[in-house]
Amino acid sequence: MSKHSGGKISRRKFVKLTGGAAVAAGMTSAFLFPARALAQQKTLKIVQWSHFVPGYDKWFDNVFTKEWGAKHNTNVIVDHIAIGEINARAAAEVAAQKGHDLFMFLAPPAAYEKQVIDHREIVEHVKHKHGSPIELAVRSTFNPKTKKFFAFSDSFVPDPGNYRQDLWSQVGFPNGPDTWHDLLVGAKRIKDDPKMGNPCGLGLSQELDTNMATRACLWSFGGSEQDEHGNPSLNSKNTIEAVKFFRDLYKQTETAEVFSWDPSSNNRGILSGKLSFVQNAISVTRSAEKDNPEMSKKIQLRPALKGPVRRIASEHVMSCYVVWNFAENKDGAKQFLADLIDEFGNAFKGSEFYNFPCFPKTVPNIKAQLANDPKAVPTNKYSVLKDAMSWSTNVGFPYYATAPIDEIFNTFVLPTMFAKAARDEMTPEDAVKAADTEVRRIFAKWK
Amino acid sequence: MIRRQRWLGPAMFMPAVIYILALVGVPFVMAFLYSVSDAKVGSVSYHFVGLQNFVSILHNPAFLRALQDSFVFTITSQVLVLIGANILALSLKEAFPGRRFFRFLILLPWVAPVSIGSLGWKWILDSLYSVISWVLVRFHLVNQYDTPMWLGEPKLAMMSVILVHTWHMLPFATVILLAGLTAIPKDIPEAAAVDGAGFFRTTFQITIPMMLPIINVAVLFGAIFTFTDMTVIYILTRGGPYDTTQVIPTEAFFTGILGSDLAEGAAISIFLVPLLIIAAYIALRSAHRAEVT
Repeated sequence: MSKHSGGKISRRKFVKLTGGAAVAAGMTSAFLFPARALAQQKTLKIVQWSHFVPGYDKWFDNVFTKEWGAKHNTNVIVDHIAIGEINARAAAEVAAQKGHDLFMFLAPPAAYEKQVIDHREIVEHVKHKHGSPIELAVRSTFNPKTKKFFAFSDSFVPDPGNYRQDLWSQVGFPNGPDTWHDLLVGAKRIKDDPKMGNPCGLGLSQELDTNMATRACLWSFGGSEQDEHGNPSLNSKNTIEAVKFFRDLYKQTETAEVFSWDPSSNNRGILSGKLSFVQNAISVTRSAEKDNPEMSKKIQLRPALKGPVRRIASEHVMSCYVVWNFAENKDGAKQFLADLIDEFGNAFKGSEFYNFPCFPKTVPNIKAQLANDPKAVPTNKYSVLKDAMSWSTNVGFPYYATAPIDEIFNTFVLPTMFAKAARDEMTPEDAVKAADTEVRRIFAKWK
Repeated sequence: MIRRQRWLGPAMFMPAVIYILALVGVPFVMAFLYSVSDAKVGSVSYHFVGLQNFVSILHNPAFLRALQDSFVFTITSQVLVLIGANILALSLKEAFPGRRFFRFLILLPWVAPVSIGSLGWKWILDSLYSVISWVLVRFHLVNQYDTPMWLGEPKLAMMSVILVHTWHMLPFATVILLAGLTAIPKDIPEAAAVDGAGFFRTTFQITIPMMLPIINVAVLFGAIFTFTDMTVIYILTRGGPYDTTQVIPTEAFFTGILGSDLAEGAAISIFLVPLLIIAAYIALRSAHRAEVT
């Protein structure tokens, strides 16, 4: 036996030797080829916009994803793209059936429903932990016909009015306009005053901010693209009234520049001192605080303007994450979204109050934070937003954000309707009728 | 040896064939298939719907406007390119100090990426910071509170996009025409000069007729390129104000990619293909004639 074992290696020794060799080889390879060692980690690929508030990306990229990656042994890759590239990028990923695990849209992506997982699992998980999401989030991510959550929304961005307090004080509105009627009266006084002359800055162009401002006006006057059951309903007396009002607003308070704007034009206009009022997210005031503190003191905020029917405005941006059916790390993506909501208090701070929570309980002291912002003058400047959840609604109001609504939004049917009437290219009645025909054509395609 | 020669030709042009098939042929076939389907960006199945999408777009006023604008945009810009390129080519043919430098300068708009050039123009024509408006105000030619809205007034906006596109296309046509000019035997204009022909007579009765095949090539290639390009309009106006500068490629992009209706976007994009094929055929015949000449 001993002879036998002396001449050959015993089974135990063989296991020891080969085991040791395997460990050594593994360590050596990990040392020599760190990339290969890292490859044993999971990877989570995320694509989202370059945030208007750089502080948010700093928190998201350098703090949250790093900590999350370390905790879950995952290499998190975050790609940032410009707003204008989002839809084209999504279409390309779907066509290739390859891309990121988590894709963030800035508007409800109802058209992609068949290409994404049902996000109900994440919604239920987060709901169990943090309470129900706001109605706006549900109506932007849920298809009531298929009962599927085609996206998961962590946040939305309110769309308040930004007004020049120094100018509005001189025309009898020290707190800015409260209603659409106030806006017309006050903005006209400012524009007609030879010492001021500043025009109002609501766009009439083929861009995001115009889409939001014209919808706010439409809904405030009681009109809408679809009714509460999802049927097209644009051609109504209320819509015509809204279009007539906007025509008067343009003629009495604005200049033709509003037809040429891109989403940043009204920001530049009010920051340069030219405009008296714009409807925009708080990126305007945050930019002013950094680059033009004197102007920052002059620009104050107002909630959504009240119309003859209601006080309402569209969300300015709706953060909608989707997990593609073809995502390689679906479990990681779901976990990431659930954990993002756990950390939303920090996301809110990182975004400097730009991203509002879709799960309100994640920021329990939101009113106190809004009331005391050291960068703002006065420090309670952002308190105006404390009720933003009550006056913000989804694109597609009073029904859900659906695929035809998405197409109407992205082909700028409403801005075109308002603009043609404003320029007397068409009467308000004809402009509404033409837009209604187009809305019905689009609805018919998506049936 | 003969066997080698038999394979050499096809082997040499095979990369070009593969390139064209992969990057032009396949997308074109896919666009055609989409256009007769109900495909949306999120579709997981394919259903043939015949010409339904073409019928649908013909009921869309935005498409009809885009169709009209495409012709206005293309024809006007190509007329301007033709005139400008002839003037430039005739000027640059003559020897003068700094000719090489000027030739280099004129080529720049073509060499620079059109997107970057268009972004520059976007600022030049901006409603707030337009340098052109600033100069006009300084010379008291316009009121500072009522400056021209280059991209906000329908006619000014169309004029602006046409001029920017012309600025971009001019060098290409100039180089082609310059090559054509230098190919004209010198003894012909010299003989005309001896016979007493002046500059205009020589230009319109000798030079331009002799260059006609080359001019055809420049114009037709330019027209096809203009019909199918969306960069300048997308960056400057996005089809606005209220669709008055919308052209076929931008309308297709807004409908197909941003609006998520791939099928209708594809139908819009290939609507002009029959016309463009005829134009391409004419362009190739012209090129052949130019070669023979």
